[in-house]
Amino acid sequence: MNLDIYEKSKIVKKKLRRLEGLPTLPPIVQRLNKLIENEETSFSQIAELIEKDQVITSKILRLANSAFYGFPKKISTVQNALVLLGVNIIKVLIITSSIFEIIYKEDVSLWEHSIGVATCARILAEKLEIKEPQEIATAGLLHDLGKIVEKVSFKVEYKKMEELVQEGKTSLLAEKEIFGLDHAEMGAFLMKIWNLPDRLIEAVGAHHELEKAKNFKKESALIHLANILIHARGYGNSLYKKVPSLDQNALKILNFNLSETKEIFLILEPKLYELKFFTEELKKDIKITL
Amino acid sequence: MQRLPLSYIKPGMKTYEEVIDANGRVLCGKGVELTEEHIKRFEELGVTFITVEGNPVPLPWEKSLEVELAELEERFKGITDENLLEIKKSLEEFLKEKYLESEIQEIFKKY
Repeated sequence: MNLDIYEKSKIVKKKLRRLEGLPTLPPIVQRLNKLIENEETSFSQIAELIEKDQVITSKILRLANSAFYGFPKKISTVQNALVLLGVNIIKVLIITSSIFEIIYKEDVSLWEHSIGVATCARILAEKLEIKEPQEIATAGLLHDLGKIVEKVSFKVEYKKMEELVQEGKTSLLAEKEIFGLDHAEMGAFLMKIWNLPDRLIEAVGAHHELEKAKNFKKESALIHLANILIHARGYGNSLYKKVPSLDQNALKILNFNLSETKEIFLILEPKLYELKFFTEELKKDIKITL
Repeated sequence: MQRLPLSYIKPGMKTYEEVIDANGRVLCGKGVELTEEHIKRFEELGVTFITVEGNPVPLPWEKSLEVELAELEERFKGITDENLLEIKKSLEEFLKEKYLESEIQEIFKKY
C-alpha cells in the first residue's frame, strides 16, 4: 500500500486529534482551560486549582526555577509563578512535565537538546530585546514536540523513518515521506489542539521553514537559530548529529550579526552546566519512583 | 571554567565571574579565592550556583579539548555554508579559550 503524502498526513492528524496512543494529559489541563475561558478568573483561583495537585505543583515549580527561564529569585509558589510567567507558560509546563517524563526515560539526549534550545532562545531574545523571553524559551522547550510524538506514538513508522535517514535522506524529507508531515508541523498541530498561544505555535511550526511564519517571524527565526547553535555546541541530541542548515533570512529578520555568536556561547556555557545538574537530578528522582 | 551547585564549592576555589544574589546584588567579585565565610554567606542568601575558575571538580560528562574538537568536526562534516562555518569558527575559538583557561589554572596550582 502506497498512500500519497496528503492521505498519510490526514491519517496521522486524525490519530493526533483523537490523541490515540499519545501520552495522556493530566485532567487538570482541561479544567485549567475551562477556568481560563472565563475572563473573570483570577490568578489566585487558578493557583488554587493547580495547588490541589501536589505532584504537578512541585513539577511546575521545579521547571519554573530551572536555568532555561533564568529568574534570579526563587519562585516558591504557584501564584508567584503565574504572575512571573503567565497562565500560558504554566499550562505549557504542566503539559511538558507529563510529556517529557516519558521522553527522558526513553531519550535523555532529546530532552537535553530541548532544554538547551529553550535556554539559548531565552538568551538570544534577551540580547536582541524581543519581548517576553520566557515565552520564547517555552517555544524552544516544545520545538521538537513532534519528534517525541513520533517516537512514542508511532513506533513502527519511526523505525522506518530512521532507516531512511540512515540511507542518507534528510530527516525532514524522511518524516514527510513516512508521516505526510514533519515534526515541526506535527508539534504545531498538537499545540493548536491544546489551545496554546499562536506565538508559540507559529515559532514551533516554522522552525525549519521560516517562510511559513506569518505573524511571528522573529520568534520563528529565533527558534531556528537557537536550534542551530545548540546543535553546533553539541548539547544533547535530536535524531541527527549533523548541524541543520541555516536559513540566511533568520539573521536578517533578527538583525543578528554572526560575529556575536562567540558572546552567546560564553553566556550559554555556564547555563549548560546548570541544565546538566538539573537533568542529573531528574534522572535520580525518576529512578526512585520507578 | 565550571559552574557548580553551591554544595560542590570548597574553600580555595576561585570565582570565574561575579557572584550575584537573588536581588541582583554583587556578593563577591571575579577572581576571588573563596573562604569558608564566603560559602556560609552564599548559603544564607540563597545562592544556588557559582562559576569557578579551572576544573576543580571532575564531572562525568566533561570531555577533553581534543574530544570536543573532534566531535565538532564530526557535527560539521560536509558543511560548506559560510554562515555555518563562521559559527563553527567562533565555537572553536570559544572552546580553545575555555580549555586554555583551565590549563593555566592547573599550572598555577603546581607552583
